[in-house]
Amino acid sequence: MESESMSVLEVQNLKIYYESVWGSYKAIDGASFKAYRNEVFSIAGESGCGKSTLVDGILRLVKPPGYIPEGRVIFEGTDLLGIPEDELRRIRWVKIAYVPQGAMSSLNPVIRVEEQMTDAMIDHGSMNKEEARELAISMLKEVGLPVEVARMYPHELSGGMKQRVIIATAIALKPILIITDEPTTALDVIVQKGILELLGSLKEKYGMTVIVVSHDMAAHAQIADRIAIMYAGKVVEIGSIHDIFEEPLHPYTKGLISAIPAMGKKSIKGIPGLAPSPLDWPQGCRFHPRCPYARDICSEVEPSMKEVSPGRHLACHP
Amino acid sequence: MPSPHEEEIKSNLVYQNLTVSVIITLISSFITKSKHMVRIPGFAGYILKKVLIYIVTFFLAFTVMFWALRLIPGDPWSRFVDNLRVLQVDPRISREFIEEYKRKFGLDKDVYTQFALYISNVFLRFDLGLSIASYPTPAQVVIMRYLPWSIGLLGICALISWSIGIVLGAFIGWKHHKKLSSAIFTIALGMSQIPYFIMAILLIMILAYGLGLFPGRWAFAPGTTPGLSLDFILSVIRHGFLPALSIMITSFLSWLVSTRALTMTILGEDYLLFAEAKGLKKIRMLNRYVLRNMILPQATGLAISLGFMVNGAYVVEWIFQYPGVGTLLVHSFLWLDYNLAQGIILMTMFSVLTANLIMDFFYPLIDPRVRTEGK
Amino acid sequence: MSELLGTLKRRVSGFISLFKRSLALRVGVALLLLLIFLAIFQPIIDQYRLEGHEATDLGYFEKFLPPSLKHPLGTDQFGRDVLGLHLTGLKFSLIVGALAGSVATLISVCTAIIAGYRGGKIDSILNGVTNSILVIPSLPILMVVAFYTRLDLVSMCLTLAAFSWPWSTRVIRAQVLSLKERTYVDLAKVSGENHFEIMFAEILPNLIPYIIVGLGFSVIGAIFAETGLRIIGLGPTTVVSLGLLIQQALQYGLLTQKRYAEIMSLVLLLMSIFISINLINKGMDEAFNPRLKKVTGE
Repeated sequence: MESESMSVLEVQNLKIYYESVWGSYKAIDGASFKAYRNEVFSIAGESGCGKSTLVDGILRLVKPPGYIPEGRVIFEGTDLLGIPEDELRRIRWVKIAYVPQGAMSSLNPVIRVEEQMTDAMIDHGSMNKEEARELAISMLKEVGLPVEVARMYPHELSGGMKQRVIIATAIALKPILIITDEPTTALDVIVQKGILELLGSLKEKYGMTVIVVSHDMAAHAQIADRIAIMYAGKVVEIGSIHDIFEEPLHPYTKGLISAIPAMGKKSIKGIPGLAPSPLDWPQGCRFHPRCPYARDICSEVEPSMKEVSPGRHLACHP
Repeated sequence: MPSPHEEEIKSNLVYQNLTVSVIITLISSFITKSKHMVRIPGFAGYILKKVLIYIVTFFLAFTVMFWALRLIPGDPWSRFVDNLRVLQVDPRISREFIEEYKRKFGLDKDVYTQFALYISNVFLRFDLGLSIASYPTPAQVVIMRYLPWSIGLLGICALISWSIGIVLGAFIGWKHHKKLSSAIFTIALGMSQIPYFIMAILLIMILAYGLGLFPGRWAFAPGTTPGLSLDFILSVIRHGFLPALSIMITSFLSWLVSTRALTMTILGEDYLLFAEAKGLKKIRMLNRYVLRNMILPQATGLAISLGFMVNGAYVVEWIFQYPGVGTLLVHSFLWLDYNLAQGIILMTMFSVLTANLIMDFFYPLIDPRVRTEGK
Repeated sequence: MSELLGTLKRRVSGFISLFKRSLALRVGVALLLLLIFLAIFQPIIDQYRLEGHEATDLGYFEKFLPPSLKHPLGTDQFGRDVLGLHLTGLKFSLIVGALAGSVATLISVCTAIIAGYRGGKIDSILNGVTNSILVIPSLPILMVVAFYTRLDLVSMCLTLAAFSWPWSTRVIRAQVLSLKERTYVDLAKVSGENHFEIMFAEILPNLIPYIIVGLGFSVIGAIFAETGLRIIGLGPTTVVSLGLLIQQALQYGLLTQKRYAEIMSLVLLLMSIFISINLINKGMDEAFNPRLKKVTGE
């Protein structure tokens, strides 16, 4: 729910490009949105639409050959893309935490779980080894893992357990913002539910802002407050979860919603056509080749993001 | 009239049967093991598996070696015997002499018996046979005089070039975007595959003959008495410098190159990205995340590389006439000393395999993933 | 039939485009072609320069002549023209490398494909054999074989090949394993191709870059192994390779006589074979894995 409170994170016209021998991959080409305190904000879109790249950009983890030609990422009033390295390092984890896609490989295979949990705590200077260890153990309990996990090595844990370890590490320093990337992919359904509930509870318990990036609309439906829909490197619609699901405005959003299998639904409709390539985005509105409502103007002029009603943003020609 | 040999042969036959049956059991258990997948969990299982593989590999290599040598046309003994014949004046005497030699070296039996006897001698009595050239000295005594020099040379070269190579390689990989790193890497890549003996020739040309800084032959100055005197030690170091350098330069460069590549791969791993997202200090990332993961394959690589270093090292020894088993091997050919040659090859295989086994023992200490194998 | 031609045309043009992508490849191939050219035409060059004599014949020229136009590298202690001698050495070294390298690569490719594709027992056995051979120190056995048999060119090459094939087998087998999982193998299975067809028609073409790199390493390995053998004094004296010439140089004390130019010439010829092949390998790597611009410095 949008309120007049200051946004925790504001992304303004972010662009992330990759240079290659075949040209520029414009993975993210002007994405803008705001996330507020104490909410679960979702970012949805097809696989491969650049959601993970977006997260990399926000956290300033983009590596060459990727680069950020334009855009601002404003966190608590400061543009993260402009500050020096060591200031960024001090903000990381303490204020902004990250639960990456593929927790399976995000853990260092040769050091114990407790070391991987405590090293960030220690390096940020707030506590010594003993205190860090205690905090780590309490965090493990918090996410529902047995205390023995601390002394184990990553390969001894299941996928769901590894995911929880990472979440436990992420919430330990009580960050203001947690960004999770595809938290439920590669996990079975029962584990998925648990993880999602855990993420949802963070908002209530700690007042955190949780950004969930996923292609799984059902997951968003379960825990999100507000949701942004991404397509072709841009954000095309933002709104509250109810509004988006009950009354999707953008044709792409409509397609996404109708493609969700649900009890009682008689048919699923997909979205015709293939996702366009970041090397060569379509002219004008990027969705127009696949849009059932496309008009002439759609192939010429790119629609900009407008607030069509309080808290509802849309990039589509009326 | 039963010769004193008969007794020997009888007990040897016992050994022979024993050995053959043990070997058959080992092989069959190995085969069945893979069928039943009898798994002993944890560390013990890992070690057992490695030891088994060690034994079987050794036996296989040993067998291949033995039979490869025997099946070559132009049996060495006849050459040796011809040689003797040339030296003998009286053909009658030489015939008896030759027969005696043949008996002594077990040549009067067929090949299969020879094989069985050899196995039993080697494994049960650690007897590599008598050295033909240094008769009556047993081959292993001769080899033992030279082996320490080889192990010292190769061991020191391997350890030094490996440790310096991986540390520098990791550093270059970590800072791969710097111009200096790229420059060092390109040069290293170009030079890393120069064979040891070419390096040896170049070094001799430049440092020994050209600048006269180091001697080009031997392990210590002729005339110096071996012992723990400072004189001797200095002489050893001075003489060993060029041979060691020939091996170490190329070896170090190749470790540099491989470690850099490995480090760059590790830097691209997800857990490094996560470490960075956690805002860890660079030192910690380098130490606990990069180095700690880099060292695993490189340690295994060290053990494997020994087998290859041996080849080059032997040639280098010969060039410098360094008194290691490499030079001894060449001499054993010149002296037609078959047992000695065989013994050296055996010892080499044994040393390399054992070094690998030792590394296998230590590996679980650094890689927690193998500790729980089989659970 | 026209389908085959079409595929062929595509592959050839794809092949040519490789060259455009890598400087290392162009230089390497150029250098190698130069060396091969020299080797092939060496007999003709010699006929022309040396008044119809073999470079290895003894005593046709004056001994110890200093470098001149007629003898750019002078003559040696046997009155042989050094340049002609070295070119002969180049020729033989390349032949040894090519022969031994190709045989080794052939064996390793077959083994790797069969082992990787069939898996299971066959894989374990072949793996065991490969590892055992890797463990046996090849040089000493090579020495023994060389010494006790009168080797000629072919048998020496075969023996060299027998010890160097396991090296590339591992790499190729790993690649086969990963290719096996890809969908077009399943497609081929479904469409009814039998095992052999799959192995050689589907998997093989994708292995070509690895095979070429493996060939490169085998050739280098063979040449160096042969040189190592020579330095010890073994090997057929009819095969006048660079290694043999180096050994002769050492034996006749060229070092003490400070005839560095001759030694350097031999070393440089040897090195250029090896540098050209290394460049080709590096070039193959660059060409098949084109780097994205603004890269991390590789």
